[in-house]
Amino acid sequence: MCTYSGNRDEALIAYLYEDGDAGERAGFAAHVASCAACRAELDALGGVRAQLARWSPPEPGFAIGNPQSAIRNPQWRWWRDVPVWAQVAAAMLFLGVSAGIANLDVRYDANGLSVRTGWNSPRSPVTSPKESQVARHQPPPGTGDLGLATVVTREDLVALEGRLQSELRAVQARTAAVPQPRAVDGDVLRRVQALIDRSEKREKSELALRIAQAMTDVGAQRQADLARIDRTVRQVHTELGTEVINQRAEVAKQRQSLNILLTSLRQ
Amino acid sequence: MTWTDEELVARSIRGDADSFNELILRWERPIYALAYRTIGREEDARDVCQETFLRAFRALPGFRGQAKFSSWLYRIALNLCRDWVRRERRTPVVQAPENVDLMDLAAAAEPSESIEDLVARKDLSRLVERAMARLPEEQRTAIVLKEFHGLTFQEIADLVGCPLSTVKTRLYQGLTVLRRALADTHR
Repeated sequence: MCTYSGNRDEALIAYLYEDGDAGERAGFAAHVASCAACRAELDALGGVRAQLARWSPPEPGFAIGNPQSAIRNPQWRWWRDVPVWAQVAAAMLFLGVSAGIANLDVRYDANGLSVRTGWNSPRSPVTSPKESQVARHQPPPGTGDLGLATVVTREDLVALEGRLQSELRAVQARTAAVPQPRAVDGDVLRRVQALIDRSEKREKSELALRIAQAMTDVGAQRQADLARIDRTVRQVHTELGTEVINQRAEVAKQRQSLNILLTSLRQ
Repeated sequence: MTWTDEELVARSIRGDADSFNELILRWERPIYALAYRTIGREEDARDVCQETFLRAFRALPGFRGQAKFSSWLYRIALNLCRDWVRRERRTPVVQAPENVDLMDLAAAAEPSESIEDLVARKDLSRLVERAMARLPEEQRTAIVLKEFHGLTFQEIADLVGCPLSTVKTRLYQGLTVLRRALADTHR
């Protein structure tokens, strides 16, 4: 049983919203500490507030804009005037061009599906010096493998191995002489990568925006079509009704003429 | 640079259309939300929102800054909502969301369940919306202004033109009715 002496409902609401007179709130806080009924009600009303917090209005999907500047700045109108099919086609074209610009490479092979973007073309398989040497020693077209088997001897292979080893040492020496990439190069690479990432994100969001706009327009078009059909049906009904009334009037007129004629014939 | 509402109002009065545009961008969502929660119909809430800004635009030269711009805007919107409710002479309706196919919902409904009940069951948000729609207008307005727009009791009292104690009583009564209504729907 609550024994609060003041206006309990008002004090409870002020306490619940932490609004109103500070002295009154402090007094009520002292009361709440000893009143189970008020604590229970505060909990329950707090629960209602939590449920209210989940009530969000639907997205307005509008842009009121200033009546004046909307007239002066019709930069988006051209897009609204384009038919929906053309907007979808434009979105697809945009996607294709974007993919081309981003050097999109989609492959499906034994390793599964792989998608690669960016300017770096896939690195060609590293050709070992040995392989390149063999390639240089390939027989002329038309001679076939048999010709190679007859030419290559053990001495040739030993000589080739020695030449390859010396070339390998030379390559290692050249590699050691080449200066290591500076930290700046790494920095530039990171920046370029970030630029590419940003560009891809922008393209994706642009595409999503276009598709969303197209879908909105399809919805609006559908509504407009339904309204037009409704109007047409009503108009047809009205015209049919008028026609029936006219025909009835015509029949009545003819019947009257016929009566007059019959009457005069009888006389 | 970010201008205050009052600075934007002053610039708008001097003929700067962009400043009024900025005010619209700043306040269109709160005003729409206020209208939607008060009248419960998306399309009508949009109309009320648009009409609010049109009236504000027309009345701007007469705005003397005696109240905050937002309070002034809220007052216009609330008057329009009140007119709408009186014109329609009905309580706000629960509206099915536009992106829900009612035929699909009907197929999923229990034999004794209406579409409206089903929509409400789908989302607690809709439950709250229904319970709010049943509240008397003055209780609903007090809850919306306090709960969703964070106005003080005094600001609400000034806006709706009633004593401070009445605002608190309306809030208490409204929340108590909501509490019972939501408890009933959960049973």
